[in-house]
Amino acid sequence: MSIDHTKCDITGMVERHIMIAADSSDNARRAVLFVGDFFGCYEGFQVTLLHIILEPEATFFRGKDERQKWLADQRGESRKFMEEYRNILVDAGFPEDKVNVRIDTMRAPSVADCIIKEQDEMKCCTIVIGRRGISKKEEFIFGSTSNKIIHEARKCAVLVIE
Amino acid sequence: MGTTYSVAQLKELIAEKLGPGFVPPRFKIITDTSDFFQVDYNDVCVLDEIPYLMLNYTREGRFGLDDEPKYWVRKGVDLLSGSRKIIKLVFHEEIEARIGDIVFKCVRSPGKEAEILKVVRGHPNFMQGIAVLDEADNIIRILDNILGKQLDQIVNKLNENHEEYFFQHLPGLLKIFTGLVEAIGFLHDHGHKHGDIRRDHILHDRENDCYRWIDFDYDYMHMASMFGYDLFGLGNILIFLVGGGDLTIQQLTAEKAPALQSLTADDMNIIFKNRVANIKKIYPYVPDALNYILLHFSNGANLYYENTVQLLEDLGDVQINA
Repeated sequence: MSIDHTKCDITGMVERHIMIAADSSDNARRAVLFVGDFFGCYEGFQVTLLHIILEPEATFFRGKDERQKWLADQRGESRKFMEEYRNILVDAGFPEDKVNVRIDTMRAPSVADCIIKEQDEMKCCTIVIGRRGISKKEEFIFGSTSNKIIHEARKCAVLVIE
Repeated sequence: MGTTYSVAQLKELIAEKLGPGFVPPRFKIITDTSDFFQVDYNDVCVLDEIPYLMLNYTREGRFGLDDEPKYWVRKGVDLLSGSRKIIKLVFHEEIEARIGDIVFKCVRSPGKEAEILKVVRGHPNFMQGIAVLDEADNIIRILDNILGKQLDQIVNKLNENHEEYFFQHLPGLLKIFTGLVEAIGFLHDHGHKHGDIRRDHILHDRENDCYRWIDFDYDYMHMASMFGYDLFGLGNILIFLVGGGDLTIQQLTAEKAPALQSLTADDMNIIFKNRVANIKKIYPYVPDALNYILLHFSNGANLYYENTVQLLEDLGDVQINA
């Protein structure tokens, strides 16, 4: 029988799975600190740190080499900050084997779509994300990942950290 | 091994298709266009075995600025069919695009345009053409020449008197605009963004009496909304159409327009702060259903269109009755 982690059991019998959608920004770091501070001292939590590298179409680049270099740079940079976030969570009290790091490269209309897809697959009961605090104009043109997740995520709680 | 042409053969083709007076005394035969500045007037580029006589470069201008030469976009003639073409050579440009005070990185992507040309083949609302590789694997786009004016030039000519324009011409223009929005929806459904939606990127094809989107080579990295920038472009065009041109604070001030007193920051375009989006305040006969759409692109908006379907639904509710 599989366990549905989206149904959080208040008796503590079911392990809660929290997903932190992170990037290199200060607000993502605040989201990680929040989770560490709030949940690090409790048992029964598993955390997945998720970073999405939204890959542009191949035609965005001048050639294969430029694309490969871009991907390698992105992956290299993300490994660094994700490792740092992992250490923050472990230092806050999460057992090492309860903190997963996942870096996915995807093509999609938006980062939010990727995060929601991953949440659905991993059955996390909570998505934690930092709010970038973008201007109204930027949201109008480029959209807001946290707003899109608030509106479109299903069967989970969403925590947006300011 | 591809077809090769001798100078004599090419001179014969030029004389046959354009007339003996057009045969240049000297010209280069080019198969690698990497350095597009080396492609001179009257040179012949042989691309995918077809010889093209290369003519002038094109220009693009907007907002009263002098036309900017586009040295990589050339007029040309297909020397086998005799048809006029626009030939876009490869120019890898990285641009810091500015919309109001937002700056973001854009690139010119020949590959993106080539992909879109395949997707929109036969579609009446898009420029038509093919993409071929030159000897150095540059993606060259060979486009059908569109004879006709830009949409903004047509509108500017129609709007002598706004009320007359609004009731006589706008219903027809909105029908055309709706078709153009549907075409962008078609592009989005195929996973592509246009990338540079502007009113001067719509040409009236006189020959086929249809309006066509042109220039799909701009690309940028999107994050939360892949199509937001395209929708912003569509909104700007709609505001332009309803106003019969740009309605700016400067213009209203010069005209001492009474409506000026009632305008607030919320009534202005969300990005271009000097352009009025709440046009009903200037022209009260703009129906609510139409003004409601315009307000989605205003500074006071709390709700934005996320896709063309939502915009089309609202456009479907608009009725203009004299």
